[in-house]
Amino acid sequence: MAAAPEPGEPEERKSLKLLGFLDVENTPCARHSILYGSLGSVVAGFGHFLFTSRIRRSCDVGVGGFILVTLGCWFHCRYNYAKQRIQERIAREEIKKKILYEGTHLDPERKHNGSSSN
Amino acid sequence: MAHAAQVGLQDATSPIMEELIIFHDHALMIIFLICFLVLYALFLTLTTKLTNTSISDAQEMETVWTILPAIILVLIALPSLRILYMTDEVNDPSFTIKSIGHQWYWTYEYTDYGGLIFNSYMLPPLFLEPGDLRLLDVDNRVVLPVEAPVRMMITSQDVLHSWAIPTLGLKTDAIPGRLNQTTFTATRPGVYYGQCSEICGANHSFMPIVLELIPLKIFEMGPVFTL
Repeated sequence: MAAAPEPGEPEERKSLKLLGFLDVENTPCARHSILYGSLGSVVAGFGHFLFTSRIRRSCDVGVGGFILVTLGCWFHCRYNYAKQRIQERIAREEIKKKILYEGTHLDPERKHNGSSSN
Repeated sequence: MAHAAQVGLQDATSPIMEELIIFHDHALMIIFLICFLVLYALFLTLTTKLTNTSISDAQEMETVWTILPAIILVLIALPSLRILYMTDEVNDPSFTIKSIGHQWYWTYEYTDYGGLIFNSYMLPPLFLEPGDLRLLDVDNRVVLPVEAPVRMMITSQDVLHSWAIPTLGLKTDAIPGRLNQTTFTATRPGVYYGQCSEICGANHSFMPIVLELIPLKIFEMGPVFTL
């Protein structure tokens, strides 16, 4: 059961679900992508309208811009998020290894210092 | 376990479930954009003043709406296959437990150390203590160590059942006469709940699964063997 947050714990953000299913608050990178997509949509659609004065075609360009910019931001952000997770995992493993093996013959720092002094 | 009216996935307790959540987010974003596009197309169809009853071909449009869905499917399939093969990785489990489904309870066998066997029945409402969860708590939990790869061998003694723990990303059918295997590595201690996931009779909804994951140091001291 999801308990009430302990004092000091960050509160879970209220979920805002676009189209009833995409939780932009609690999905990493979603809010960022949708916001940039909206900005891209407005820029593309309005810019097209300024040059052509065609309303419907400008709306089409706006929607296309929204989809492309959202997708582009999404993939870029998720790629960085995945890299960050891998780095966090490596750091966690190294910290655990250091705590476990410090001072023993398996200490990675001792091996590294030994090889550099040779 | 899930909180009231929860629709989304539970928080992950294993690396595989973390990957599944990431893939789910990825697929959901693609689905959202497709739905957005379809809604816009519907809006255009409903508001257009144009009527053309003599359209004969539209080669460019047909090319686009053939190639684009193929690309989208590839974008979804590649991460999906990656996770599929990840779940089949052999990771040298340090502990094996057999889980046998019955109508309507589970039997667990810890045969690695001494042959401990016990049944796990749902706690009837009359026997619940304050704080216990209705339809989820059991009399004997499955106690396992955290951060140790565990192999579950799942089978059934009578009809089809399914051993499922959402937070670990596990769901494996219990089939009579067949031994199915699943492995997992839990990343944090706690009590995790699941329910039978294959219709198996009148009390199918009343044979839950409860995993109690404890630190390896405490598990090695042997509390699970002092029933």
